[in-house]
Amino acid sequence: MYDQFESPEPDEAVKLALRRIDEATARGEGSDVDGLAFNEVVVNMGPQHPSTHGVLRLVVTLDGELVKDVIPVIGYLHRCKEKLAERRTYFQYIPIVDRTEYVASINCEWAYVMTVEKLAGIQVTRRAEFIRVITGELMRIASHLVAVGTFTADLSPLGTAMVFYMFRDREIILDLMEELTGARMMFNYFRFGGVRYDLPDGWTSKCRDYLQKFPKMIKEYEALVDDNAIFLQRTQGKGVITQQDVIDYGITGPNARASGVELDLRRSRPYSVYPELDFEVRTEQHGDIFDRYRVRMDEMRESVKIIEQCLDMLPKGPVQVGSLRAPYVITPPPGSCYVGQENPRGEFGTYIESDGSRYPYRLKYRDPCFCNLQIFPKLLSGNKIADAVAISGSIDLVLGGIDR
Amino acid sequence: MGLQVGSNPMSMDAIAALLVERFAGELEDVRIQEPDTVVARCAREKLKDVAARLKADADAGYETLNWIAGVDRETGFESVYHVYSWKTNTYLELHVDLPRETPEVDTVTGVWPAADWHERESWDMVGIVYLGHPDPRRILLKDDFVGHPLRKDYVDLAENHPHV
Amino acid sequence: MVDIIVGILRAILFVVISYAVVFVAALVNIVFERRALAFMQDRHGPNRTGPHGVLQSIADAFKMMGKEDFRPLLADPFLFTLAPVTVMIGAVAIQLVIPYTGGLMATSLNVGIIFLVAITSFTTLSILLGGWSSRNKYSLVGALRAAAQMISYEIPMILGLIIVAMVVGSLRIEAVVAFQSGYEWIVFYAPFSFLIFYIASIAELNRGPFDLPESESELVSGYGTEYSGMRFGMFFLNEYAGMTIMSMVAVTLFFGGWMGPFAGAIDFWGVDWIGIVWFLAKTYVLVFALIWIRLSLPRLQVDQLMAFAWKVLIPLGLLNILATAAIMLWVPSWKWGLAVFSWVAFFAFVGLLDPILKRRLRKLRERQPVVSA
Repeated sequence: MYDQFESPEPDEAVKLALRRIDEATARGEGSDVDGLAFNEVVVNMGPQHPSTHGVLRLVVTLDGELVKDVIPVIGYLHRCKEKLAERRTYFQYIPIVDRTEYVASINCEWAYVMTVEKLAGIQVTRRAEFIRVITGELMRIASHLVAVGTFTADLSPLGTAMVFYMFRDREIILDLMEELTGARMMFNYFRFGGVRYDLPDGWTSKCRDYLQKFPKMIKEYEALVDDNAIFLQRTQGKGVITQQDVIDYGITGPNARASGVELDLRRSRPYSVYPELDFEVRTEQHGDIFDRYRVRMDEMRESVKIIEQCLDMLPKGPVQVGSLRAPYVITPPPGSCYVGQENPRGEFGTYIESDGSRYPYRLKYRDPCFCNLQIFPKLLSGNKIADAVAISGSIDLVLGGIDR
Repeated sequence: MGLQVGSNPMSMDAIAALLVERFAGELEDVRIQEPDTVVARCAREKLKDVAARLKADADAGYETLNWIAGVDRETGFESVYHVYSWKTNTYLELHVDLPRETPEVDTVTGVWPAADWHERESWDMVGIVYLGHPDPRRILLKDDFVGHPLRKDYVDLAENHPHV
Repeated sequence: MVDIIVGILRAILFVVISYAVVFVAALVNIVFERRALAFMQDRHGPNRTGPHGVLQSIADAFKMMGKEDFRPLLADPFLFTLAPVTVMIGAVAIQLVIPYTGGLMATSLNVGIIFLVAITSFTTLSILLGGWSSRNKYSLVGALRAAAQMISYEIPMILGLIIVAMVVGSLRIEAVVAFQSGYEWIVFYAPFSFLIFYIASIAELNRGPFDLPESESELVSGYGTEYSGMRFGMFFLNEYAGMTIMSMVAVTLFFGGWMGPFAGAIDFWGVDWIGIVWFLAKTYVLVFALIWIRLSLPRLQVDQLMAFAWKVLIPLGLLNILATAAIMLWVPSWKWGLAVFSWVAFFAFVGLLDPILKRRLRKLRERQPVVSA
């Protein structure tokens, strides 16, 4: 009867999970029910799944409803970005950097452009620095809206309503960016020494209008979610990232700040005009799911403050260094450089080695989600599967950066 | 109170001098890259020891690993370690040279747990073997991929793309 | 002889009409819910098929009927087919005792309320059957959990219904509706009992914040994993039909049934034709409330669910019965006494539940360790 079925050969990750179960049983730690040797089941939360954000595959070892072990399998979105860099000029590569962490692509461009500018010794015009901060912070708000929206969507139908409300606000930001750069998500906007376009007429007043209305919307979202006893019960005390984890695994961004670590690259390793701006680094003390959510909501408020200050302080001047045409082919002197930047998810940086030619010799990304994902097995073990879904939503993963 | 950023700030020259003094034989070619990175080279035999002592150093403990990159120099390979010190709020970039025929180096997952996936990616893309790694599997490419793409002499094989 | 034949024909007619009502109600509810949810989520919802999307359910039904029908090789063949077939029995049989309007009632059982309560347990049986016959560990676990939830919440439902029987003094549904003529709706006398009954019925339906059994799509679907096509369609339609049927029960027992202004105006063939309008209107207000509640609250976890039933609803329901009985025995004008007590209890429950929960959560939070290196 079974001849017609061919079981597929389990792949490496599943084999590893099965091996670990065998080892645990041999050590005497397997769960023992009615004299059966073990009770665990290996289940695949496959690359296509409504709750894993992106094409992430989790090979979960379950004991009933408890998660014993998680093996994340990545690489389904691998686009060989690091190899592509070796055959493209620095300028041709900018659109490709965009597509790394596509939810907040301005910040990815920023890291790359800063690295090349440092290698080549290019100065950025002052007006362009302010515009960079404005667009970077706008995309930070947009990215946090996506992160919090999809996270609450994992919890319930309430969340699906939240997603739509938050995406509605994000639409206004994307409209602003479209007016400025011509694109809604992959902007291709930064250039070495400045930005491509100057702010169009009326853009600053539209931006200010939006910033006036936005804090009220944040309050609305908080009223829907923060005050909800069911939500609090599901998110407080779960998925705790300790400070030792932050040190061990290199966790940065809101995930680290929710555990009381005041690590914000805009303050600790300042770049651009951040030293002149007045904003707080928001931290929370408990490191659980609720705190990560709160840090993101607070950061949105801080971003609003930053953008308002920048709009006030915006100087006149050119937005690109030199003539109006960007330098299309630059050849930085031989050397290497790494610059990290505060992405909405953590520290995003590029390490570029140049050999003096017009192509980079080696480009390596330091992606925050790649580093944050390493803590998954530790974070998810011991929780029920429904909590596991909530925890993975709160870490805010974008597979584009993990897989590059 | 917990983890603090920059609780023991020192000037870059002081940090470089400290590293030269404490790691006299092991760290070579210590130089400063503005604004906050010290670049150094290390021989591959000494890496494990140096890594453990760098992490445990009382004044400038490099406790967090940021990333590990594998680079293919035509004459050999190089494994680059980028580590961060909370106390001084500075970075250290360690370059380890590896010979072309046997690109092997000890793993540092015992020192910095974050090295796990970074080393797997370096193995996957460049082909550097990390001896003693707990889980040496490919990470971004499929399990039966042949070759290491980020090598300069990599030629794309048809068997790597059966679906095309 | 003629009586027997007429009886059989009446029975067949009842079955046909009941199934028709159940299916139509389910199809209407699906579109209604999708559009109402969409409206509350700031988007449109299905609005292409038919004017304003009203034919969407029919399109979905055709799609579902056209799917491949299979059953897992190892699944029990008879039970696997039996489960979706029997799942709607509860919804259909309840209509035996619900008066759609004056004169339009299948039968007048003198234990109507008890019959209601007994028949609502049928769905649990079918779900267990479906989960077990799928020969799938996760389906079984999902079905057991759904069954546990439904059994736990039947008790508060009954406790709410008992007040109706106490107030009316009879178990006949007709008597209940007649008691409520002249706008003396039982919900005005005993809103607290209605609240207990309503919350319990949301959990019975696996709806709203109590939809853990059907939301197991976080990992695998619950009892319905191995079902596809029209087999799954049956479970799916039953859930939506249940919304209407349960609302009909609530309307009949608490909101005056088919009573309303001009209810007896058009009397044709012994049936009050305006009553149906009021009945359906009240039912759909309650259905909309169900959809609204579903949208507004995050899902309850299984331990929160069971704790809420056993530690909150059941004790309160029992106390409610005791208090009602005491009032009816000793307070001279017991209707007023009951109304005062029930409204006070209603506002106390609604007002105090949240702060009590929040205070407990705050205390837990204070005891939660602060992370440090």
